[in-house]
Amino acid sequence: MNTKPWKHPLGQAAIVVVLAYVLFEWGIWLLPPLFGVASAPVPATVVLQYMGTVVVGVLIWVSDSEERWKQFKAPIHRVMVDPRQKVLRTALMVTIPLLVAFMTFDRVRPTVSAPAALRSVHPAPPGQIDFRGETMVLNGLENPLRHEGDLEEHYEEGKRIYVQNCMPCHGDALDGQGHFASAFNPAPLSFQDPGTIVQLTESFVFWRIAKGGPGLPREATPWDSAMPAWEDLLTAEEIWQVTIYLYEQTGWEPRTWEEEGAEGEEH
Amino acid sequence: MLPGVEITSERNVPKPGMTWRSGAGPILLLGALVLLVMAEPAFAQVPAGRDYGDFPVIGGRAAVWVAAQVHLLFAAFVLGVPMFAVVTEAIGMFGGDERYDKLSKEFTRLLLVAYSATAIWGGILLFLLVTIYPTLFSYLAQIFNLSMWIYVGLFFFESFTLYLYYYGWDRWKKGRAKWFHWGLGIALNVWGTIVMFIANGWLTYMMSPPADVTVDTAPQMVQLWSALTNATWMPINIHRLIANVVFGGAVVGAYAAYRFLAAKSDEERAHYDWMGYVGNMIAIGALIVLPFAGYWLGREIYEFNQQMGITMMGGFMSWLWIIQAFLIGILFLAGNYYLWVGMGRIPGAERFMPYTKYMLAVLIVGVIVWATPNTMIASREEFAAMGGTHHPFLSVLGLMSGKNTAVNFMILTTFLSFLLYRRANKEPVVPWARTGTIVQGAIFVVASAIVLFYGIYGYMVPTLVRIGFSVYQVLTVLACIIGVITIDLLMLRGATSRGEIQWGRMPQRSQYALFILAVTFTWLMGLMGFARSGIRQHWHVFEVIRDTSPWAATPALGYSSVVISACVLIFFGLVAFIFWLGSLAEKPVISSAGRASAAGGIQSELQPAPSEG
Amino acid sequence: MLKTNLSILAVVIGCLGVFTWVANAIPQIQSDVPEDLVLSDDVTPEELIAAGEELYNGGGGCTACHGLGERAPNLLTDHAGTGLIGERCANRVAGEDCKQYLHTSMVDPNAYLVEGFAPIMLDASRTLSSVQIWALVAYLQSLGGEVTVSGADFADDGGAAAAGGVVASAPAAPVLGPTGPLDPEELLTRHTCATCHAVTGQSPLGPSYEGMGSRLTADEIRTSILDPTASAAEGFEAMLGIMPPIFGNIPAAELEAIVQFIASQR
Repeated sequence: MNTKPWKHPLGQAAIVVVLAYVLFEWGIWLLPPLFGVASAPVPATVVLQYMGTVVVGVLIWVSDSEERWKQFKAPIHRVMVDPRQKVLRTALMVTIPLLVAFMTFDRVRPTVSAPAALRSVHPAPPGQIDFRGETMVLNGLENPLRHEGDLEEHYEEGKRIYVQNCMPCHGDALDGQGHFASAFNPAPLSFQDPGTIVQLTESFVFWRIAKGGPGLPREATPWDSAMPAWEDLLTAEEIWQVTIYLYEQTGWEPRTWEEEGAEGEEH
Repeated sequence: MLPGVEITSERNVPKPGMTWRSGAGPILLLGALVLLVMAEPAFAQVPAGRDYGDFPVIGGRAAVWVAAQVHLLFAAFVLGVPMFAVVTEAIGMFGGDERYDKLSKEFTRLLLVAYSATAIWGGILLFLLVTIYPTLFSYLAQIFNLSMWIYVGLFFFESFTLYLYYYGWDRWKKGRAKWFHWGLGIALNVWGTIVMFIANGWLTYMMSPPADVTVDTAPQMVQLWSALTNATWMPINIHRLIANVVFGGAVVGAYAAYRFLAAKSDEERAHYDWMGYVGNMIAIGALIVLPFAGYWLGREIYEFNQQMGITMMGGFMSWLWIIQAFLIGILFLAGNYYLWVGMGRIPGAERFMPYTKYMLAVLIVGVIVWATPNTMIASREEFAAMGGTHHPFLSVLGLMSGKNTAVNFMILTTFLSFLLYRRANKEPVVPWARTGTIVQGAIFVVASAIVLFYGIYGYMVPTLVRIGFSVYQVLTVLACIIGVITIDLLMLRGATSRGEIQWGRMPQRSQYALFILAVTFTWLMGLMGFARSGIRQHWHVFEVIRDTSPWAATPALGYSSVVISACVLIFFGLVAFIFWLGSLAEKPVISSAGRASAAGGIQSELQPAPSEG
Repeated sequence: MLKTNLSILAVVIGCLGVFTWVANAIPQIQSDVPEDLVLSDDVTPEELIAAGEELYNGGGGCTACHGLGERAPNLLTDHAGTGLIGERCANRVAGEDCKQYLHTSMVDPNAYLVEGFAPIMLDASRTLSSVQIWALVAYLQSLGGEVTVSGADFADDGGAAAAGGVVASAPAAPVLGPTGPLDPEELLTRHTCATCHAVTGQSPLGPSYEGMGSRLTADEIRTSILDPTASAAEGFEAMLGIMPPIFGNIPAAELEAIVQFIASQR
């Protein structure tokens, strides 16, 4: 066989498959942005599906004419039986099973990523929690510090606690853009966002700080959250203080419990 | 939870035996079924005072499911094949080509055994229903008693018409007797169709009972006629009628492929090559109209109950349609592949061979677009990169406009393949042949442009308008098909031939494409059956009789696919046996054929090695 | 011939294997049966309360209104100085004892409207079975009062008190044909959509209809109404599951009018 590899059906088939892979893996991701169209990496399952279709197509092409089919099979056949091709044959016999073994390993090896699930960001809070051995009823609970002591002082104390403990992830602007933020998926919440603390009562915020990610109910996929449970590190007073800081600093009003005449709960 | 308070859905968690993910499922199912056939209802005992019986290992629902599906597959075969057996016989009668008469008789021979298999599986289904769902069955029996008796009577007539039709074939071969014989074939179809319509009435009643039937309606009070002619009855009738032809064609194709591979003489090979071609043509031809019946059925379901429609298309079954797209993609590819490989046996077809790669490219792009999921499966990292479950670029393809355009292009391409196949060995002699070809090409270009235009324009208009576009696209494709084929028929009148089609000179791999077609059709039928039955969800009779059995939850696709695969395997196991019986009967006739082969020139590598056999 | 048979078998099994694998590789969703309460006639008050509490905080969807905020009286705390619900229920309507009052309030919510609130509540019997409603009554009674609900109550109106227990499911009688003129805004009120969704401006609970037509197609709106758990609007993910999946009972013409109206809100 003296034809050039790109004129031979086997070579052409290989070229088509490789080109298709490049297109699906990178082309769809990188080409549209050049024309101002948004795109993103294609999920592996979709690439697999597309590649399966292309491979079937290539097989159809090489085998729909008798002559091409024979040409296509010839080099494969030669490698399998020709005594002079022993080295190549042995190499293939070793690498192909190894490749399959590696792919199998890659599929089944444990990874740190959680299984995909529909995640509830603000799950329903429990009616009561156990905080340092004491039972706290969350229903109807308000921030006690709003009615005792100096609010300004609580705010200052809250700021100190925030900067010491929360800022690395939630950021100095409370926008969820802390130094470590990009390491987490899902990313730390932005308190500036009108969808977060403004929707919640202070008791909810207290619960989230105290119990952290591990305290989330199932529907909120606790295994995804990197938020620590602060109840062993901060006192109840400190948590309430940092809560005050969150609301005062962002300018949001906490959602309130039933109060006569209060304006709508979404600010 | 305190004792005494029990949430029933916990009972509905499938038993471990119902959630196989491994390949052991089908084998166990098969084993259980063998047990069942040997020891029928003794296994399924009804505990006193309960509405449901049980079935060992696989559970009652799976048992009834398998019995119903296998029965239905045989029934579809038995109803589909007579339709084109009669047509083939007529072609033989009027065209005077003996070949077609022989083919028609061969179809009918397959029917005989398949017919008794249908009856056996019907019996199994009946006994399982009575023992596992006694309350539901007695409810249905109270409504449908009269129609059940009629059904049995018609079944009787149908059987004996079939016996007369087959065994009288050689006796009533000439002149007026042949007309009588053909009449028998038509009667066979009439009985069969009525039988199917009655049975469809029972099952569509469970899906869409008349609006005046409520939870409190006593079964004696339900009017038989209104129960039979419910909202989805006629759409299902039509849909099944067409699907039966498709299915019959595909299974006949598989039969021919089997006989082709097993053939020992060139003449035999030529005959079964031709038969496989006819079966494939019937299947693909009828398949093209099937979506219309499907649309109608879907619309009736939406009109009957929007919630049911949503459950079917967008609810927990939405992924089922991705699988369906995948299967239909396989059908298109396999069908075209068979035609292209077949062009290798037609002198003159080499003119068209270079074009197949472009048609293949269109098909592959079509399949890719058509099977692109709207909501993708991805890991958390990939979702984070995409910014949601929708891909910003590819989700455009996942929408209806893109998919309709893709499927219309696939239909057009398949039609073009067929056209080239037809044209392969012909040389038109009419003076306007060149103009005609140009007009045909122009029709194709215009049709493609219209389909593409509406496909793109569909993204710019509201949904309601866009739904209308799919109708324009389909009508365009149909008009193109009709226009081009009309020109083709006129143009090829009296055309000279570049040489006869060398029937039998077909590589073996093309026959495997026929098997893939048959298996895929069968599996697709099972899947669509699951969809139709599953949208009732936890109801036996939708919003009338609640399913309170342990199997009330509608299973996920994974489990369903295992059951469907088991059904298909059982069906083809039995069909293989029937095919084998068919070859037993045929043997002495073929081996006596000593004439020179019509196929001629078969290359030696295409012949099976002497050791096989 | 054996070789041919084996290769045919391989093709068939291979096809089936691929199909089965593909169907198993996608996310597996099973359509579960809606939860029913099964309570025996001799149910203890504790069992009823526990079942009621679970419903109240979960599938019953009560907390959407009777939880935070001031859309409805808070049933878990003191209301305007009249005491907890278990106490105040007996004093609300002359001649109705606590049990009767609570039950009527659920199946005919507008019968006794608490002062200061709009008549927005849905008839609970549209989504809940009689057993479930009685369990909720028992739970509310337990908040500061004495539970007087017993198995006899739901055996009475449940009808079929079969041996061993009574299974009740939500009645799902489809309404046939439009029951009134097709004024979308009126329909939104009548079918209680406006309870949670405002046509313009800030919504009470769910997303506002303002501009919804530019975000969603009519198809998506229809899907969201019929299957509210299918997807959540941005910012409302936490509310997923609060909207009851009962609006499939709206006559199709009216539903379509509502869908088209929402889709026209750009």
